[in-house]
Amino acid sequence: MNFLFNAEEEQLRATVREFLLEHFTEDVRAENMAGKRGEGWGPLIRKFFDTVNEKRWFAWSWPTEFGGGGGNRTAQFVIEEEFYRYTGITLGGGTGAPAILSFGTAAQKQEFVPGAIKRDIIFCQGYSEPGCGTDLAGIRCRAKRMGDKYIITGQKIYTTNAQNATHIFLMCRTDPDSVRHRGLSILLVPMGMPGMTVRPLWTVQNDPPAPFGTTYGEERTNEVFFDDVEVPASCLLGEEGGGWEVARRGLNLDRVGAWRYLISVMRDEDIVNWLHGDGELQDSLRDDAQVRDKVAEMWTEAEVCRLMTMRSISIEQNGGKFTYEGSAEKVFAPEHSVRTTEAISQILGPYAQLMQGSPDAIEKGVFAHNILGAYQSTINHGSVQVMRDQVARVGLGLPRAAK
Amino acid sequence: MDILLDDQEVQIKEAASEFLAGECSSALVRKIETDALQYSPALWTKFAENGWLQLCLSEKNGGEALPLTYLGLLFELVGYHIAPIPLHSTMVPAMVIDRHGSPEQQQLLQGMLASELILSHAVAEKNGRWTTDSIALDGRIEGNELVLHGVKSFVGSYRASQLCLVVYREAQAPHALGAVLVPTDAKGLSSEALVSMAKDGESNLKFDHVRVPLSARVGQPGQGNAIALEVMDLSAVLYASMMAGAGQRTLDMAVAHAKQREAFGQPIGAFQAIQHLCANMVNAIDGTTMLSREALWRIDQKLAYRVNVAQAKSFGNEQCMMVVRSAQQIHGGMGFIRDFDLNLWYRRVASWSLRGGTAAEHRRTIAAALLDQPGKVRIGAIPQQ
Repeated sequence: MNFLFNAEEEQLRATVREFLLEHFTEDVRAENMAGKRGEGWGPLIRKFFDTVNEKRWFAWSWPTEFGGGGGNRTAQFVIEEEFYRYTGITLGGGTGAPAILSFGTAAQKQEFVPGAIKRDIIFCQGYSEPGCGTDLAGIRCRAKRMGDKYIITGQKIYTTNAQNATHIFLMCRTDPDSVRHRGLSILLVPMGMPGMTVRPLWTVQNDPPAPFGTTYGEERTNEVFFDDVEVPASCLLGEEGGGWEVARRGLNLDRVGAWRYLISVMRDEDIVNWLHGDGELQDSLRDDAQVRDKVAEMWTEAEVCRLMTMRSISIEQNGGKFTYEGSAEKVFAPEHSVRTTEAISQILGPYAQLMQGSPDAIEKGVFAHNILGAYQSTINHGSVQVMRDQVARVGLGLPRAAK
Repeated sequence: MDILLDDQEVQIKEAASEFLAGECSSALVRKIETDALQYSPALWTKFAENGWLQLCLSEKNGGEALPLTYLGLLFELVGYHIAPIPLHSTMVPAMVIDRHGSPEQQQLLQGMLASELILSHAVAEKNGRWTTDSIALDGRIEGNELVLHGVKSFVGSYRASQLCLVVYREAQAPHALGAVLVPTDAKGLSSEALVSMAKDGESNLKFDHVRVPLSARVGQPGQGNAIALEVMDLSAVLYASMMAGAGQRTLDMAVAHAKQREAFGQPIGAFQAIQHLCANMVNAIDGTTMLSREALWRIDQKLAYRVNVAQAKSFGNEQCMMVVRSAQQIHGGMGFIRDFDLNLWYRRVASWSLRGGTAAEHRRTIAAALLDQPGKVRIGAIPQQ
């Protein structure tokens, strides 16, 4: 047992922090925001990404042959944490690349992984559909094999970042007679193919725009329509009909790590740091026994979120496999985020409703925007209800309900 | 950073687990609850003979000098098996003596390892509060003696013990606390047995001008306040370890029951309402376990740890209570029948959650660290004493 990062990792943390303070200027930040909104990536943010890539920080623990740093997972976590805290940028080559490293052909690894690390290739996730979300076994989007091509028909929804993605990590049904999760496959489909349409869905926490650091600060997500989209059969990742296994690997990685942890605990830090301030409101709240008790309670829960993350990183660092731990963390951290957001709002009273730009808004309204954002994390990437099913069935061996 | 158990930790955990599973049955636990001293001398002797008491003592005292996290693993297992032995009452003062005691006091640890000496520790008083402010037992220096006058309350396994580490307030310097070893047969010292839910031998003590030599004080002059806090923190965090272990056992019982008990044509464990309750129990136990292990690890590493202890105990108090209550819910009516074993764990977790500091008391410590000192906070790295 060891609960501290070692000196080398702490040194790395300091180096990364110093680098970000120097290079991620307000201008770079603005270009990054514009890029995320789908307005294109400016020269400053591109140069920033290039510099980070030269340091191999985007994928520190990934194999060097694909452009990773060949370092350990713990050090990568340290880099990820500093990046997310200061820039809001998530590292690790996005969702698609880990699954491609596990299931891709040699050609696919070369084609996608180095590009994904450099951010030339950006994946969006094509899982949810209007008729199915957390239960992906209900997928209807159809890919029909025609010689060396697939013809795709159907619709995806909540496809975050589709406006910026170069590819969609598409889960679709390749066997029309299959039921549940048999007969599903993953296709790596380039965006912008003839027959594809992306339509924005604007999220509630960004009207007015949410301040930096809001939990689930994504301004938009999307619907993606496939109208007889033709792609080469080489887009298939893994085996035809093996999409369930491929996706499971990718999804587990989404549910743990620096980003998931930080979006769940940053308000705990914010409220304490704000309470340190000099204002009349802070002075009265800081001495209120009930406020102190609630803040300490929520802080402790946040510490549990941290420990659950450290557990996940320890498992990954040791090359172990998750049994229930990823799912358990995906219950505790998002629900903590909701509990603390709502508790903070009861501490701040009417000020907690004021959004960015309003007179008297506290901390640019981040606590108000969080009320609209935090609960999204109990839904996205597998609802906490289904995550509890996983803990119970996989972790504790409880049976499935009879039909 | 690697917070999982390493090979040696797994090995010791498995060995201790096997020992306790073999030696500690629920029948024994039930029998001991009705005995006068409410502990099993036979199990205590065997426990000592197997070397479990010396894991974390320093080598000069016959110990193996393993990190305190091993003691945590042991306490988790003692909670899992609710072993009726005075381990908590003894190990807290033993670790304090090992770290701060005089050579003569350290010599006492040999007697403990030979199971000839049982220790206890006394912190709380009549008002039941777990704060240093509430420590009022008067300790007046008269010549070569310390004269103790006042009361102590809620002292675990006191009647089984021969020596009690007592925290007092210095009469001549009221801002200063001290800790002193008092023989339980000292003149002027009397006790009354309490009837707690745990039925594990708590007592109230009355000190009527009890005289002990000054050499019985533990630690150097000026160290008293720090030692008092150390006693309190070790006591609190080891209760958290035991609650985590006991909670784990009730989860295991609840899951086994839910797989086998049928209702509405299927095992009740197939219902999501039951499954989700169990998933919540998993996180509650894991959270308590990780918080308490981290606190013990930090104590061992000589890092600041008070906030970590407070986190472990406040979270454990509420969350482990939820765990054992949920186990009751899953068991239905049989859970509250005396002959069924679940209540043995439920009653102990309920008691343990009320000793060594309540959630609110520990959160005061956390809040003070967060709010009463300058500097930006960050999860995992708050400024603390």
